[in-house]
Amino acid sequence: MWFDILPSFWEGAKITIQLTLFSAVIAFFLAFLAGFGRLSKIKAVRFLAATYVEIFRGTSLFVQLFWIYFALPLFGIMLPKMLAGVLALSLNAGAYGSEIVRSTIISVPKGQTEAAIALNMTPWQRTWLVILPQALVMMLPAFGNLIIEMLKGTALVSLVTLADLTFVATVLNSSIMRPTEIFSVLLVIYFVISLPFTRGIRWIEHRLSAGRY
Amino acid sequence: MSVPLKVIYNEESTKSIGNDLRKVAVQPIVNYSNISKSYGDLQVLRNIDLDIAPGEKVALIGPSGSGKTTLARLLMTLEEPTSGTIEVDGEMLWHQKTNGKLVKANEKHLHKVRGNIGMVFQHFNLFPHMTILRNVMEAPRNVLGLSKEEAMERAVTMLKQVGLANKIDAYPAQLSGGQKQRVAIARALVMRPKVMIFDEPTSALDPELVGEVLEVIKAIAAEGEMAMLLITHEMDFARDVADRILFFDQGRIIEQGSPKRIFNNPESERLQTFLSRFNRH
Repeated sequence: MWFDILPSFWEGAKITIQLTLFSAVIAFFLAFLAGFGRLSKIKAVRFLAATYVEIFRGTSLFVQLFWIYFALPLFGIMLPKMLAGVLALSLNAGAYGSEIVRSTIISVPKGQTEAAIALNMTPWQRTWLVILPQALVMMLPAFGNLIIEMLKGTALVSLVTLADLTFVATVLNSSIMRPTEIFSVLLVIYFVISLPFTRGIRWIEHRLSAGRY
Repeated sequence: MSVPLKVIYNEESTKSIGNDLRKVAVQPIVNYSNISKSYGDLQVLRNIDLDIAPGEKVALIGPSGSGKTTLARLLMTLEEPTSGTIEVDGEMLWHQKTNGKLVKANEKHLHKVRGNIGMVFQHFNLFPHMTILRNVMEAPRNVLGLSKEEAMERAVTMLKQVGLANKIDAYPAQLSGGQKQRVAIARALVMRPKVMIFDEPTSALDPELVGEVLEVIKAIAAEGEMAMLLITHEMDFARDVADRILFFDQGRIIEQGSPKRIFNNPESERLQTFLSRFNRH
């Protein structure tokens, strides 16, 4: 029966969840950094942020991962598999996320900034008290998508032999040769892991927008 | 001996001496000096000179696109003048002195001078993610640095004054347009500015809600000490509230005077034409 193979997935699932969580936190941070960077008054900051976004959005995650894991050592930088995985995933998702941050911030009506100026708020207060809370609500659905995208993207790290879910499944399959059961179980596990993320985002979204619109 | 005194104190000359003295003694709260503003090739303000006395209520009337709103936005620092200077309470608004040189003001300088000015917008611009109370409390708390209790007390007092004390826990989306604008007025007033700008405060309202907002503004005007710059298309309102009316057209002040003078004896043809459109109904 298929559930005899279930325990073998446990260690892999832990790696996949860890990868997703670490990468999500760093990606979130990078998204804000680059998103605000692209709206900066300073040209050099805008340029730097735009360069980062274009490079990581314009090349494939697969190649980025290989480059970090296999090419960086040539420059003397040898990263552990887990770190290489987290770095590739978060740099990639951070680039996409920065576009979410940037576009929602500029979509907050201009009158909001003007009202904040009329109340003599500092630029920091305008952003923090007025613009960001409104932008954040709009960001959430897109960020939810991004996290799910990233969770699924973690499957790629099996290619640098990090023992995540997909890696465990392929290894298991080559030893016991029961692909139908193994990959069906794999599908279901990914789906089950994604559920708390989608639900969690939905919950936060609901909390933040209660009674307002 | 008594004859020369009589001459000096006859009614006409006393009046003129009084006026001159007032001009010298009282510094204007706002002074526009040779202000121009262009967007590319389009010049919206042409060499405007204007003084507003402390407590004075000045109404700006004129056709749309005549530069009234831009004049107000320059004062609120929402827009930068192309040339000329603005002073608020004796201090340069858009310029500052650094090493004896007049340079463009930085954010810190703007912050210092801007605190004298408040503004109510045509489209209210309430913060949709805050309750009514927080909308009014936020700036006293964070900008003036009041304690939470003080800020709340001030905010509640102000909301009572505009008749919305029962709505403090509501969100802006739950209010009518007239109520929203009254909250916006409370939010601006709570900062106790020396000059308050009302930029077409009733233009975005349904006709039946205009009255309640005008009443609130009239009541504030009656309190007296705050200067007001009112941009409005409500001529009866301007007549009731304003000490002085300025008629704007094509970026210039065409004519100005007391409400009585402006409405009863308009001199320029353009003002006559403009007013005739309102008198028809």
